[in-house]
Amino acid sequence: MAVPKRRIDTLQTVELAEGMEIHLRTAGPFLRFVAWIIDLVVEMIALMVLNLVINLIFPVMGGNVSEGIFLLTFFVIWWFYHVIFEISPWGATVGKRALGLRVVNEAGGGITIGASMIRNFIRGVELMIPFAPLFVFFNPRFQRLGDLAAGTLVVYSRPRIDPVIPGPPPLNKVPVNLSLSREEEAAILSFRYRSGGWSEARRMELANHVERMTGEVGPKGVSKLMGMAHWLEEQR
Amino acid sequence: MNRQEFENKNASDWQTFELQLGSSESKKPTLDGHKVPSRFRKICYDLSLAQYRMFGHRICDRLNGLAIRGYRQIHRKRGAFGEGAIRFFLGTFPAAFRREWRLFAVVSFVFWVPFFAMWWSADQEIEWVQALLGPESMSSIEGMYGKDADSVEHLRQEHGSNFMMFAHYINNNVGIDFRLFAGGIFFGIGTLFFLIYNGLYFGAVVGYVEYAGEPELLWKFVAGHSSFELLGMLVVGMAGLKMGFALLAPGQLSRGDALTRAGRDGLPLLIGGACMTAMAAVVEGFWSAQPISTSTKYAVGIAFWVLHLLYFVLVGRGYRGA
Repeated sequence: MAVPKRRIDTLQTVELAEGMEIHLRTAGPFLRFVAWIIDLVVEMIALMVLNLVINLIFPVMGGNVSEGIFLLTFFVIWWFYHVIFEISPWGATVGKRALGLRVVNEAGGGITIGASMIRNFIRGVELMIPFAPLFVFFNPRFQRLGDLAAGTLVVYSRPRIDPVIPGPPPLNKVPVNLSLSREEEAAILSFRYRSGGWSEARRMELANHVERMTGEVGPKGVSKLMGMAHWLEEQR
Repeated sequence: MNRQEFENKNASDWQTFELQLGSSESKKPTLDGHKVPSRFRKICYDLSLAQYRMFGHRICDRLNGLAIRGYRQIHRKRGAFGEGAIRFFLGTFPAAFRREWRLFAVVSFVFWVPFFAMWWSADQEIEWVQALLGPESMSSIEGMYGKDADSVEHLRQEHGSNFMMFAHYINNNVGIDFRLFAGGIFFGIGTLFFLIYNGLYFGAVVGYVEYAGEPELLWKFVAGHSSFELLGMLVVGMAGLKMGFALLAPGQLSRGDALTRAGRDGLPLLIGGACMTAMAAVVEGFWSAQPISTSTKYAVGIAFWVLHLLYFVLVGRGYRGA
């Protein structure tokens, strides 16, 4: 699909070396916040388990050795929990995986250990600067500062397949006398293929937006728009 | 060709590719792995065609998903870790250091000036040093390097204490490195703060030991690991300041792009500097407190400084990054 300059969705168009465009669906701040909370809980559980293990080995290995093991493991969990999971084949921490998210580089591929270190180390400082976490709302790709420095994005790991619920089959074909842009044609076609999932009122509401094209409002507008979609489809 | 024909004609290709992706993602060996690239090209072609002819969300989204998964499979990196590490320490890291030598001048200035100022102030008027250290630090310094202190060597006789201190230095000092780096995101202020603070603090410790303790105890303890620890910290500081400067003066790039570039260029400095600090923890944990003659410790310390100088000036000259 041709991509206009300003989009109404959050798809990111990336052109790959293979000479094609793919669309990445970037994940919004709310979902990422929830994933972060889940990860905090997982980290806390990991530290509690660590504490338990240290208490068990304490009598066997002696105070100094077990404290050393505690410090080293604490260091790894504290600084590298996110990094280890993000460079794994999952490409996501436990929280992100649970919500179907994934960390990728700007071409949609897996990230390097260095990029993961940058984006995760910066998070701590970012949370301390007033208003810096809000930066994510002003970035069209929902990147926080750490993502910018590392050149990474958080995306949905699987494409969302819109349910195709076509409305009732149109009875007639209505020729379209205007020259439509490709985006507009696509919008009319997807109206038809998704209209089965909407109430009649919603269909009318949407069809009323193109009153100038159909010349009708209400139920008549809907059926005329359906007819146009049918005609466009047959044209191919 | 309308959508239905397009789908009928190609659906079996897409399904084959999907099955193949499933098996190669789960790491099971497949017999026809060599066909992945050509099938991937077919998917790319179909996706472009479907997008151009607007065959609808259902087909485009499915092909888009297949293309992304295929791209991940084809472009995944499986380099040998050992080779990567050798390449890094013999080429990438020292080359990155030389490329950013101006930043090294900046961080050295920012660290050493407070250090010597504090040291010098101890000769003139000890109150500055006392105010900075506070009573707890002063009594612990007297405990380690004081006139009638139990020497550090004596404290480390206990079983496992070397390992414990090593772990402590890893956790503490490498953690400080990471904060030092991350502080650069705040226009470099965080990095500058940590560098200046550490300069003042180390200077104060040296000044206080000269004033109230036995300087030789301090110098022979720090000699071995000083080069790794101080240079490691400064190198990580370079990576942090690089981000700060990119945000302050992005030049012809947007601030976001400048930050991305600074992160990428500074990355070898972060990793290399953190490795140096980890090495310092090894030396500090297992060597610095060993009961060995003072002159040997000084000689080893000086040798490490010279080796660092040679390493950063000479190693990896003419290396062109991969």
